Amino acid sequence: MGDDRVKEIDCRGLACPGPVLKAKNLIDESAPAELKIIVDNEAAVQNVSRFLGSRQYKVSVSLEGEGTCVKGEKGADAGVKDAIAKEVPRRGIADQPRETARILVLVSNDRMGHGDDLLGKKLLVSFLTTLKEMGKELWRLVFINNGVKLTVEGSDLLGVLSELEKESTILVCGTCLTHFELLDKKKVGQTTNMLDIVTAMQLADKVITV
Amino acid sequence: MDDPYSFGQIAAANALSDIYAMGGVPKTAMNLVAFPVKDMEISVLRSIIEGGLVKMREAGVVLVGGHSIEDSELKYGLSVTGIIHPSRVLVKRNIRPGDRLVLTKPLGTGIINTAIKGGLASTESIEKAVYSMAELNKTAAEVMERYPVNACTDITGFGFLGHLAEMVIGSGRSVKVFSASAPVLPDTISLASMGLVPAGAFNNKKFRIHMMDISPEVDPVLIDVLFDPQTSGGLLISVPEAHAPGLLASLRDAGIADAAVVGEVTEGPEEKITVE
Repeated sequence: MGDDRVKEIDCRGLACPGPVLKAKNLIDESAPAELKIIVDNEAAVQNVSRFLGSRQYKVSVSLEGEGTCVKGEKGADAGVKDAIAKEVPRRGIADQPRETARILVLVSNDRMGHGDDLLGKKLLVSFLTTLKEMGKELWRLVFINNGVKLTVEGSDLLGVLSELEKESTILVCGTCLTHFELLDKKKVGQTTNMLDIVTAMQLADKVITV
Repeated sequence: MDDPYSFGQIAAANALSDIYAMGGVPKTAMNLVAFPVKDMEISVLRSIIEGGLVKMREAGVVLVGGHSIEDSELKYGLSVTGIIHPSRVLVKRNIRPGDRLVLTKPLGTGIINTAIKGGLASTESIEKAVYSMAELNKTAAEVMERYPVNACTDITGFGFLGHLAEMVIGSGRSVKVFSASAPVLPDTISLASMGLVPAGAFNNKKFRIHMMDISPEVDPVLIDVLFDPQTSGGLLISVPEAHAPGLLASLRDAGIADAAVVGEVTEGPEEKITVE
């Protein structure tokens, strides 16, 4: 940033070969001395690293926000083999050092606790409104089953959730939205699948179920 | 795959392959079709079915019926029934120390398909890949039948090393892979080197890498090719060493030019795959 030679492309959400093609277009157009490609899956990290290596960039990889940043720099010591052999194999996202803990909150209903439903709904509103106190440690907020109803048109919590989404990632179960026929009504968060949910649980330091 | 006729051929070859890999003879098939009637010309479906039918004829299979539904995404496959004498059924795990492993089709269809999506595949590699995918494993199975084969499987979505792992697990044996001898489609290595490896190859690798002992001499790009998910891949045949040269020569005489010895079975019991 601040250096106009550094080109950056956000390839999150793109499946292979999308990220490689974007990187290729950028290099073909402007041959930048330095570029950053932000990706969000392991296959893309490996493929983009390999592609940049094949174009004689020196490759490094780091965690960046919700994604992984693959950086290429032109330099005399750039090499394909080097980048692949030494950098790629230990690039598990879970292995990256970091300062804050990752908390995943799984919301499986539109109310909190059992007993009085009206009370339960009030409690959940209060819970989600207060959740921002977790700060940066609130890493993922996942809505499943009845919980997805909080993310759709007409929910009282859209404002609260949009606020939380600025710092954290909100995932909403696609199967559940489809089941309730609410897929078009979702107003906040990213539609997700069980594999992403399970992976997120595995990467999280703490999982809280409501 | 953009050409519906080729798509039909490949889907049929893929569906028939399991029977061949068991040493059986397919006899009847049913078409299974999901088609987006509103979004696609019906002539596309006709071409797909014709492609499938050509392969069924080639296999000597009778189309006895089928099932079709309207769906948002196009799908086509076959449900195939074949026959085999119970004592001659080939299973994956029956590999024996000293066996040679023979692979009958070149690897790389997943990588080339990824390159096709990106518009980066050469005409030559597309043609070779389509030809290879549409090729039935019938001839290979017929040749194999004349030899005292111990085990066989067909290479599909788990890639060469993934399906090899399925032969090794539960066998009580280990396997050594001669990576440099693996037949590979044109351009596959260069396309993989520039990052056109499908996500499935990385998943396959992640899943099975714990049982692999990979020599540092082997190019990591080639390892990805060995894990590349295949569509309608070849047979992987485990045959006693004494019969391997004969089997290989017969396969090549029958027109299976890419057939190669790609490994050998060693004593267990670790159930390891060494790639060198």
